[in-house]
Amino acid sequence: MSQIVPALNIQALRKSFDRPAVDGLSLTIPTGEFDALLGPNGAGKTTTLRMVAGLLAPDSGDISICGVDVLADPIAAKQILAWVPDEPMVYDKLTPLEYLEFVAGLWGMDATRAFERAQELMGWLGLAAHANERCEGFSKGMRQKVALAGALIHEPKLIILDEPLTGLDAGSARQVKTVLRRLVSEGVTVIMTTHILEVAERMADRLGVIANGQLVAEGTLDELRDKAGQDGSSLEDVFLQLVADDADANKELAA
Amino acid sequence: MSSTAGVMGPHISPGSLAWFARHEMTLAWRRWLSIMAGGRRKKDRAVAIGLFAFVAGLHAIAYFFLEPVLAAGLTADTTTLVAVTGTLLLSFSMMLSQTLESVTRAFYTRDDLDLILSSPAASERVFAVRVSSIALSVAAMTALLAAPVINVAAYIDGPHWLWSYGVVLAMAMLSTAVAVMMTLGLFRVFGAKRTRLIAQILAAVVGATFLIGIQVVAILSLGKISRFAVFSSDMVVSRAPDLDSWLWFPAHAAFGNPWAAITFLLLSTMALAAVVAVSATRFGEQVLAAAGISRGQKVQAAIRNGFRQVSRRHAMRVKEWALLARDPWLVSQTLMQILYLIPPALILYMNYGANTDMHAILAPILVMAIGQLAGGLAWLAISGEDAPDLVLSAPISKGAATTAKIEAILIVMAALVAPFLIALAFVTVWGALITGLGVATAATSAIAIQLWFRSQSRRSNFRRRQTASRTATFAEAFSSISWAAATGLAAAGSGFAVVLGIFGLIVMTVTWWLAPRGDI
Repeated sequence: MSQIVPALNIQALRKSFDRPAVDGLSLTIPTGEFDALLGPNGAGKTTTLRMVAGLLAPDSGDISICGVDVLADPIAAKQILAWVPDEPMVYDKLTPLEYLEFVAGLWGMDATRAFERAQELMGWLGLAAHANERCEGFSKGMRQKVALAGALIHEPKLIILDEPLTGLDAGSARQVKTVLRRLVSEGVTVIMTTHILEVAERMADRLGVIANGQLVAEGTLDELRDKAGQDGSSLEDVFLQLVADDADANKELAA
Repeated sequence: MSSTAGVMGPHISPGSLAWFARHEMTLAWRRWLSIMAGGRRKKDRAVAIGLFAFVAGLHAIAYFFLEPVLAAGLTADTTTLVAVTGTLLLSFSMMLSQTLESVTRAFYTRDDLDLILSSPAASERVFAVRVSSIALSVAAMTALLAAPVINVAAYIDGPHWLWSYGVVLAMAMLSTAVAVMMTLGLFRVFGAKRTRLIAQILAAVVGATFLIGIQVVAILSLGKISRFAVFSSDMVVSRAPDLDSWLWFPAHAAFGNPWAAITFLLLSTMALAAVVAVSATRFGEQVLAAAGISRGQKVQAAIRNGFRQVSRRHAMRVKEWALLARDPWLVSQTLMQILYLIPPALILYMNYGANTDMHAILAPILVMAIGQLAGGLAWLAISGEDAPDLVLSAPISKGAATTAKIEAILIVMAALVAPFLIALAFVTVWGALITGLGVATAATSAIAIQLWFRSQSRRSNFRRRQTASRTATFAEAFSSISWAAATGLAAAGSGFAVVLGIFGLIVMTVTWWLAPRGDI
């Protein structure tokens, strides 16, 4: 019987700067899920995901994407991964279409397929009318959508988004959410960090709570409610309870 | 707590001219310190000591050159007045270049303008203070450069020479007034959308034009490249006005004549005050126009019907070329470097087909220009990456991405220098080979320095790239100068080229040794 390979498998991941930012974190995310990572500021969410994306080298631990070892074969891992940072990084002097052509070139895509995909994505994200305008005049929301289109053009198997909805107006946020849900329905795995708990509650299949560089809870909203002992509570209540429990546990440990 | 003192010093009525002036001066001082210390406060003392040693060294050099001239007695004859007036005009063109750039920035840089313009404070006062601070900062920079000459002259020949500082201030005010009028003229003719780029290009051109113009005249009339050859030539001296002409009063002021200096200062102050009074009311209006442009401009590219199939490395190169070609700062800098190449190109043209030693003049200028340009291009490509996460998360190794960026720069440099080398090869193959080698070495050195001192930054920080590392800035300048001098001497057949070549290698070795170790 063949074992189903998870989209992301993290084992005992550690990274320290002045203090431990990620402290022995382990996390497994199955294929075709929409997962949200929650946590207070400085909890280690972004650091964890930056290590998954190959932007930071871990001190220790293992990361694999769809069975590909990120540390042993980073190029192969990057080929099937997309990373969208919270601050949209696009080139002011390129148009969205030129940006997508550049990204497609970096991922070594077939040019014909890349152009078709670019048209499709710009249609989905409402960028088609601005395809040939330089990004320098774009709002943050527009730039975020260009960056997202860049992340999706090479048809990744795993998409990691760091605060993807920050700064988006309601219409743009709806477009982004629709696109992400569509991708999940096609079998793509999406992981996002967010501070907007309502979004996480409504969109994510599973939730992970990170605090002090560790995964303190993980599961569906109902499973998290059970863990927090708060039946019928909102995600906000559950989240605050879990984070507070972790802080108490750390204080006891320190004492 | 005292009611007459705030956290920033003694109480001044908020919103007044003096209040804005203090705000600007505080920011300017801290910015200058940050530039000098590379953002590290601990370095303040080291900066002060280094600066003192540098200024003292310049004074020693000035004494060495001035002492025999002043001891022999300096007379304000026509030749001297022409030379001094020419030098003042040259300095004025350089100052105008700086002030034009600064005035344009005052209109387009957002920084605190949104805050100030949304406050009930009068925008005219902000404009008056900003324009005055531009004049003062340009005067301070020029005074710093002129100080060794003025101070040494005052020490040897008497304190009347100190009036020359008044000339510096007067020229700074006059150049600021002209720059404001030019910028507002550009706004009126081209609109807010195009003014920034045109003003940047104009600033670069203005700074270079006078010097290049004089050199072109020198080459065409006298067969020499030195501007002093023009100033002291019969052609100019015989056509100069009489000694008692009013046209000489800036030169007399520079010689330390107090009445001439006071007159020059008064006229310049009146000119700047008049320009500020006339244009201040339009400041807020133009800033809003500029702000509207920076948010909403739509630069349309050609409609595409498909993507090109390229390798990962070529995709990186194509991206670099597109960004380099669309960078307004780079366009103006490149234009300036190309302008500086006009005199040597002219020399080459005039000696076309003749077997002369003129390539000894062409070679160092070409090497210097390309070395400087390579440094700027390398910074933009290597450190100025606007989407570092995208490049790092792409399935291309970091080394391959960097190599592709360097290839993109080298191809641009080759395209720029090739016409000169090919033309030179028709005059002298040996000279073309030596020049080509010098250019390649200077460009490689500049790229290597940028690689060793790379620090991730946005491309829009190009102008402030020198702040990232003083060492890299000086190393880039010293290596360019060394390779240019070595190439010039090699082209002239001098064995001393080896010594300068070794000096260049020492510069590079020391730079490599000083470079921060770690991930490049």
